[in-house]
Amino acid sequence: MIKKLIIFFLFALLLLAALGASGAEKQSGKLEITGVPADAATGRYDREAGVFSADVSGIEGALIRVTFEEVTIVGQIMEWRTEDDYLIFTSGAELTKEDFTLTADTVEYFGSENRLQAAGNVVVVTEDATVYSDQLVYNEETDEAVFTGQVKVAFEDGTLEGERFVMFLEKNELQFFGAFQGLFNTERE
Amino acid sequence: MNLSTKAKRLIAAGVVLVGVILFITFRYLATPAPPAVSVPPSVQLVESRLVGRKEGQRQWEIVSRMVLQEGDVVTLSELEEMIVFQDGEPYLSIDTPRAQWQRKQEILHLHGPVLVEGKEGFQLESDFLEWQGRTNMLSSPGPVRIIWRGMEITASEMAMDTEEGVVHLKRDVEIRDEGLVWKLEEVVYNLDAESMDFYGNVLMEEEAGSD
Repeated sequence: MIKKLIIFFLFALLLLAALGASGAEKQSGKLEITGVPADAATGRYDREAGVFSADVSGIEGALIRVTFEEVTIVGQIMEWRTEDDYLIFTSGAELTKEDFTLTADTVEYFGSENRLQAAGNVVVVTEDATVYSDQLVYNEETDEAVFTGQVKVAFEDGTLEGERFVMFLEKNELQFFGAFQGLFNTERE
Repeated sequence: MNLSTKAKRLIAAGVVLVGVILFITFRYLATPAPPAVSVPPSVQLVESRLVGRKEGQRQWEIVSRMVLQEGDVVTLSELEEMIVFQDGEPYLSIDTPRAQWQRKQEILHLHGPVLVEGKEGFQLESDFLEWQGRTNMLSSPGPVRIIWRGMEITASEMAMDTEEGVVHLKRDVEIRDEGLVWKLEEVVYNLDAESMDFYGNVLMEEEAGSD
């Protein structure tokens, strides 16, 4: 079981690492805002402050989509501070990369710190499992991904629940903090 | 001379007939000459410096080789210099081959190719521009290209409120700025605040070949 868990988190962290790496290097990104009527206000770019903000939450069917490398983030409210290389999606954001999906109330990317942060109803879905938590922080410098707050890892044959869970990519190490509870179905066909 | 009664009657009838004919001719058929109308002749000036003022302040100054005034329309051709003033100071320099000034309406038409240059490297190119003196609006109903603070902006239509420093750009708007290309449907750009409000769908991509 532990082996399966390690494989899952290695996979997830590889994807997060790819996201971080794409931020560290020069991104070949694209921003699209679609489904907006021609006369409806979409957003504002304050060139002096270097801030682009967009809000299409009041427009049915409208979406903001940011794509860089193989990562796509979709949401309805976003802010991009170009000077700081900081991006935040609020009001239900979804990040996808191949078969990896992260949804959360807010998704932030701190380019200068090589850090990705998701908060509020965090759900990470992969082919093998689904992780639920209140917050996720991935730091490329320290190479650690930290899931905190009501962490629940759901597999096909069981679940793990706890308060804090850290994964180190290069060390192939999983750390469970505090009380963790596992429930697995051991029946075999 | 003794005329018979018959002859006298014939002469009298003839006189009456001639009188009737003359009366009809002059009363109904002959058109009276039109009253004299004062038509000012066209005025053509060569090598002129014209200055437009509003409430005593200079609005514009033009040096033109050829100025033709017909009624309220002043046509300027072979323009050498055209400067638009704001608060009495030179604001825009305009290079255009021909211009028409409708004095009563305070409308200036610039026939292209028109190049407008301002402070901080501001450049505006269009095939036709209209300047409305009453509203301080400079508009291009056709394609326009603007260079401003390192940005290159193109659009199919433009209206600029020169007093407020606000530019409305419409249809196929494209902004190139620091390696990024923005493609937009409509933009309202506040030049002083350096802020842009976007309307409709937006696409932003990295420019090919940028670092």
